[in-house]
Amino acid sequence: MVRLEKVVKTYQTHRGVCKALNEVTLSIEKGQFVVICGPSGSGKTTLLMTIAAMLRPTSGIVSIEGHNLYAQTARARARFRAQNIGFVFQEFALVPYLNVVENILLAGSLAVPAPVFRQENAGTDPAYELIEKLGLTDRIYHKPSQLSAGEKQRTAIARALLNRPKIILADEPTGNLDPDNAAAVLGYMDEFHRQGGTVIVATHGPAAKDFADRVVYLRNGKIQSP
Amino acid sequence: MITPGLILREILHRRTNFLLSVLAVTVAVALFISFFTAGVASQRETARLMLQMGYNLHIVPAGTDRSEFLLTGLTDKTMPQQYLEKLATPSAFSYNHLLGTLQRRISWQGFEVVLAGLAPEVCPPGQKQPPMVEPIPQGTAYVGYIIADRLKLKAGQIIEIGGRQLKIVRCLFEQGGVDDIRIQCHLKDAQEILNLPGQISEIQAVDCLCFVDTNDPVSILRKEVASILPDVEVVQAKPIAAARAKQRQMIQGVFAVIVPFVVIACGVWIVVLAVINVRDRYQEIGVMRALGYGSGKITALFLGKAVIVGLLGAFIGFLVGTYLALHFGPDIFKMTAKTVIKPQLSLLTWSLIFAPLFAAVSSFIPAMIAVAYDPAVALRLE
Repeated sequence: MVRLEKVVKTYQTHRGVCKALNEVTLSIEKGQFVVICGPSGSGKTTLLMTIAAMLRPTSGIVSIEGHNLYAQTARARARFRAQNIGFVFQEFALVPYLNVVENILLAGSLAVPAPVFRQENAGTDPAYELIEKLGLTDRIYHKPSQLSAGEKQRTAIARALLNRPKIILADEPTGNLDPDNAAAVLGYMDEFHRQGGTVIVATHGPAAKDFADRVVYLRNGKIQSP
Repeated sequence: MITPGLILREILHRRTNFLLSVLAVTVAVALFISFFTAGVASQRETARLMLQMGYNLHIVPAGTDRSEFLLTGLTDKTMPQQYLEKLATPSAFSYNHLLGTLQRRISWQGFEVVLAGLAPEVCPPGQKQPPMVEPIPQGTAYVGYIIADRLKLKAGQIIEIGGRQLKIVRCLFEQGGVDDIRIQCHLKDAQEILNLPGQISEIQAVDCLCFVDTNDPVSILRKEVASILPDVEVVQAKPIAAARAKQRQMIQGVFAVIVPFVVIACGVWIVVLAVINVRDRYQEIGVMRALGYGSGKITALFLGKAVIVGLLGAFIGFLVGTYLALHFGPDIFKMTAKTVIKPQLSLLTWSLIFAPLFAAVSSFIPAMIAVAYDPAVALRLE
């Protein structure tokens, strides 16, 4: 499903060229729960962003379901991302002026057809289904500043799941959560995985490994044997 | 979520930034409106003040001794009265008021006086304007201060000049000029007294080139008059004309310096606020890009907000600018304020068109900065 072939990503810094990814070759099959481990600065986030069609590699090929991502236009990549990939970030990345339901629907704006939240249709509304499932029912009109960290991350997960993506990419999703909330968040991802979705989590914590089908170790931009 | 909804939510969330942006546009529009209105009023006021100074153009018969005319304001030549009608008919001559006169220095009651016969003043067809000189009915006269004082003349008395009796309807206040030794009567009376039927010695005029952008209006006027009356000369009262021109140039100068300065300052203000806004929204833009929002939508978020800022600023600015002009204008422009300083809805229309455009242009570079954000960087790449 996800294939990276000799992917290199370099950055020009004031100290010279920094190689964030160094000839990474990786295959992830559909329905796998993959955990990418490694210390800070090892290239985990770069790898995720590259898979997410957001960061063009310096060289190499990144493909999802046979589509060479970076052979497409930026617009096509954006649409592909909107329809196929869900994101979860350590810092939640919620829009501060939108409430819970609006933040969730933000992901739906580009899906076709765009979902519209109607509380009167709560029973059948996909956004409401997610809100209910993630225990946010009494928080739907709250702004991010009024939510706990766990609630923020659950909102982010709902947003990631709204378009029924094929892949969830999570960057340190439990980094700012207490153990209970961290377990709950990983549980939601595991549920998505058990329903056939592909999950790729970048983390340096141990918790996610319990859910993983596969653990990939990254060090200095290179995949290493465990 | 659709773009207008996102824009409104963001505006409500970052009210201070929005209000400061609206304030910038409001200041720019208000100053422009008040300056524009004041500028128009100033020009009109100047024109009216200049009218009080008298006619600034003298059209005299060809062959007039210029030196004598400049010394005394009189010519011994005459020209047909029909010249007045020729000039007055719709033509290429830019004038506001025309006054045909027949003037001669005469000895009367032991004094050297100036007898002036005045034809009713003429204005351009279709332009009703209050006369600069009150029409004098036939058989009546206005008597200058020195004459009246020396001869102890009073209104209501009958005087006789050249065998013609005239009733004094007014003895003029002291003017400190040739008017003090002038007897003014109707043109026909003067023509009979001087035995010059159908003749005039001068056409006085007020040109209306005060709003034309030229440094040499007299050459334009001479050309215009020459095309109608080839055998006359045009003398311009330079101090009056120069005062008008200076006033016009001063107002244009004020506009040329202050308005662009205000507009540029407000533009920079909006740019700075928009850049701050973009920086505040660094992560949000990254999230949107990650979720698949394209450049068009991100641009629309910023330019859409700028348009709202522009529309609101234009409307408030128009109200504030008009209020300033209405409030302070009458104290400054006492003669023209009532007719010139009033709400001009056309300015509102232009403001509503140009202010959003101005705000959008000012926000364009920050919007492009936002579009250029690398979402991976915005989302805190390792």
